Amino acid sequence: MIPLQVLVADDEPVSRTVVGAMLKKAGYPVIFAPDGEQAWQKLDSDDPPAIALLDWEMPGLQGPEVVQKIRSRQDQTPTYVILLTSRDSSADIVQGLRAGADDYVTKPANEDELVARVNVGARVVQLQTALADRVRSLEEALANVRALQTLLPMCAYCKSIRNDQNYWEKVETYFTQHSNVSFTHSYCPNCYERFVRPELEALEDAKAAQDRQRRKG
Amino acid sequence: MAEPEVLDRAVMETLRKLTTPGEPDVLTEVLQLFLQEVPPRMDRLRNACAVGNIEEVYRAAHSLKGSAGNIGAQRLMGVCRQLDEMGRAGDLTDAAPLVAALGLEYERVAAEIDRIIATDSN
Repeated sequence: MIPLQVLVADDEPVSRTVVGAMLKKAGYPVIFAPDGEQAWQKLDSDDPPAIALLDWEMPGLQGPEVVQKIRSRQDQTPTYVILLTSRDSSADIVQGLRAGADDYVTKPANEDELVARVNVGARVVQLQTALADRVRSLEEALANVRALQTLLPMCAYCKSIRNDQNYWEKVETYFTQHSNVSFTHSYCPNCYERFVRPELEALEDAKAAQDRQRRKG
Repeated sequence: MAEPEVLDRAVMETLRKLTTPGEPDVLTEVLQLFLQEVPPRMDRLRNACAVGNIEEVYRAAHSLKGSAGNIGAQRLMGVCRQLDEMGRAGDLTDAAPLVAALGLEYERVAAEIDRIIATDSN
């Protein structure tokens, strides 16, 4: 499994470097942002980091404001956000979590605790990704079932089916394309009596006629 | 209670162990960064105190507190915390002696950093 990328956003360079080194040592690829604006640019890109560690107090956009911007987007697998803060009063923590953060770590960060919390984030992101993939494949399967539930125009004589592109297809072709069904050909007892037996008898007769001819000659 | 060390030994050890093989030494990098980044912010804090810019005092003290905390400079962090709280409360009446203490404590930290870097590079 490819390790998830982590964004570390902090205007304070010493803290940024230390937190980044802790995560690199734990095996995470790390990218950095020196303020809230640049953090948001990286999070709003086509390939955003899966986990973001945001300092609470940054010039420009503050941590909780960046979280609100992330949460206002409708993502199937949203960024896991941890606020880094030296504010440790309950009121501050509640405010940060209400803004949409998933977790918080007080500064200066303790290495073991920080890495453990980022690991929790990675687990949540991986579960969400797996769940989103599962939902997508179920939706696809459901769309196919729906397609089979619609009214199919069928020729009353040759039993061909008119497909969505307006072409007449054999029943076998249509179902093979629209479902996991595949066909094996056989005949029913009625058709045996109606088609197969007369054909076999005709062959027998032809063979007997041939033999008689040969004996005469 | 014993006076806290200038730089917490446990924090130094943690930083030393953060280096990934083949990468530059994290402890040296962080300490050098500290020496380079902290003096300009102390100047900003001094100026802000002199002109009574409460917002700027709070911002500078808060960020210095973070830098000090990350290298385990406990006493320096303590002074920064007091200035941070004063700025947050909007009252700078007793800030001047703290700013002076900040300068003295920074000198101690800087000397200790120089010593560690010199020892490590030998």
